[in-house]
Amino acid sequence: MSHPTSTSTVGAPEAPGTPPHSTARRRRAPHPLRSEALRGFAPWAGVTTASAVIASMALNSARWQGGWAETASELHTTQLIVLPLTVAAGCWQGGRERRRRTGELWATAARAPLARLLVSALPVAVWTALGFLAATVSAMLATWPYTQGDTPHLGLLPGDVVTTAGVALVGHVVGRVVPWRLTGPVLAVALFAWLSTILVDAGGPSRLTPARPVGDDLLPVWWQPLAVIGWTGGLTAAAVLAYAARRRITALLPLAVAAAAALALTTSTEVPYRTDPLALRQVCDTSTTPAVCVNARYAGVLPQVRAALAPVTEKLEGVRGLPARWEDLPGSTDRDEAQLPILTPRGWSFVRGRLTHPRQYAWEAVAMLEGGDRCEKRGTRTTDELVEHYLAPSPVEADFDRLDARGTKADRAALRRTLAVRARFAALSPEARRTWLSGYFIAARSGACSDPEVPLP
Amino acid sequence: MTAHSLLPGPLSGPRLHARSRAVLLTLAALCGTALAAVWAAGLLDAYLDPDRRVRVVALAPLLAAAVIGTGLHSPSAELDATAVRPWWPRRLAHLLAPTALAALLLPLAVLGHPETFGAPAVVRNLLGCTGLVAASAVLLGARLSWLPATGYVFAAVLSTSGARGHWARLATWPVQAQAGSATWAVALTVFAVGAALYARHGARAGTLPD
Repeated sequence: MSHPTSTSTVGAPEAPGTPPHSTARRRRAPHPLRSEALRGFAPWAGVTTASAVIASMALNSARWQGGWAETASELHTTQLIVLPLTVAAGCWQGGRERRRRTGELWATAARAPLARLLVSALPVAVWTALGFLAATVSAMLATWPYTQGDTPHLGLLPGDVVTTAGVALVGHVVGRVVPWRLTGPVLAVALFAWLSTILVDAGGPSRLTPARPVGDDLLPVWWQPLAVIGWTGGLTAAAVLAYAARRRITALLPLAVAAAAALALTTSTEVPYRTDPLALRQVCDTSTTPAVCVNARYAGVLPQVRAALAPVTEKLEGVRGLPARWEDLPGSTDRDEAQLPILTPRGWSFVRGRLTHPRQYAWEAVAMLEGGDRCEKRGTRTTDELVEHYLAPSPVEADFDRLDARGTKADRAALRRTLAVRARFAALSPEARRTWLSGYFIAARSGACSDPEVPLP
Repeated sequence: MTAHSLLPGPLSGPRLHARSRAVLLTLAALCGTALAAVWAAGLLDAYLDPDRRVRVVALAPLLAAAVIGTGLHSPSAELDATAVRPWWPRRLAHLLAPTALAALLLPLAVLGHPETFGAPAVVRNLLGCTGLVAASAVLLGARLSWLPATGYVFAAVLSTSGARGHWARLATWPVQAQAGSATWAVALTVFAVGAALYARHGARAGTLPD
């Protein structure tokens, strides 16, 4: 064959008499990294990592779907399983030459030990990091249709990706050093148990744990990803160099970087997270009294909250003594405000951008208006129950009434009194009802928790 | 010391089979797993809150199943295929014997409070994980059989508090406190399928992604 085609055998000797220019058309042998990355265990490691993260996220979907911050926080929490799986995958790859009994053959290769190690180890590191990234993209696509505000939170992602890849490399080194078939699973279970135990401790060393949970309303400061990359990447490079470098003393350099990053993470007076500025803002509908405000992180849910509270605000028209607004910001509530019933953590009354129980939500909002949350010991009062019954009865009120009707003699008598009061209140003229409610709210929100009840109508 | 030297005596079929599979080392590793589980459970102060035992209840059976799964490796798979006698009784015994030993030892780590992550949950998880590992040994090879089960159990543990609804609870059977009939049914089904697959086909020769 005078003109080799693109399908010619890779590495075959050139036929005598072949023109020199034809070698350019010959397909070059693929780089070993390419072969390692496309064949063997590495892609499987990536698929396993992605599958575990996606399965875990799917089982918890109500908790994060619809919130960019919650999605980022939940994805970061999956590092708790990603890192043990990754270290085990790296460990398995590290033991490959021993399983194949090709260690001696490799020892005769011209390549340096470090190059040989990286060619074998990097594909698993890259694939596991890609697996985590694929799961991240999947989760973000799943959360996108339900978002109510905010923008994607990507601040934790660089640190997580580098840590994932780094742990795979460290696992590879361990797999080469420890000749035991159970090294992978034992390392995975031990790392998982250790990570989940140390996270309970909130002290300085736990700040070094890559899987440490981060609250939904927190964002990493600018140097946090750099410090995490320095910490985990430095340790990884130190382990790899100490094992395979020609001059092992070079491992001290990344070790120094890791130590500096660890110092920054643990001893810095500035916590590496700050409160999300968006979480400190709220959007309000001021067309009602009280006005309805929801946190800017989920501003899009305002119409739903407004609709859920519409029956309450309609009945409160013309009533005095009310707070100016239901507010939804972190921290304590001003005297002129009432706390909006919390929507977060997601997964309970707020799932995938929808209010799941609007009637229950309205009842809770009325309870917040009564100011009882400011008093530690004020019990349920007859007037409170009456106001709640009128403005937004609890979904379980009828069930309690039925229980009382079948209860003891005292229960039945109390129920009769309650029903009589409700009937009298319903019979009042609108003006009289507003007057009584004004008196009630002025007294209830006066701040004196021991005040006597407003006389019943 | 090799497994070969650990089994002295005349060479009979079952003895040779046990030697070739390093069964004694597997049993020793299971004893070590049980000891580690007892030690770990002691660190949890579970008398304050029995729910803390969820990690031991999920992870100890997983590790035991990994030990059992890697022990299913055959060093002479091609030779095995030429045997005249049926393999399934030997394979089944090879799977069931260490599983039975682990089922006896692991509950020692979580004695008391059977209603919240107690001995029944450990046995249930052991059976389920062993089934997963046995099926993985058929598909991937024995040496890597621990990987799918590890990913699955880790994902389940991370979802302990978030999984709601009947199907989600069934999917996270390794972390359900109450060893109720539904989670038992799932674990037993997984074990039966895994054991049947392994008894029928044996572990894959070599490892698929190596």
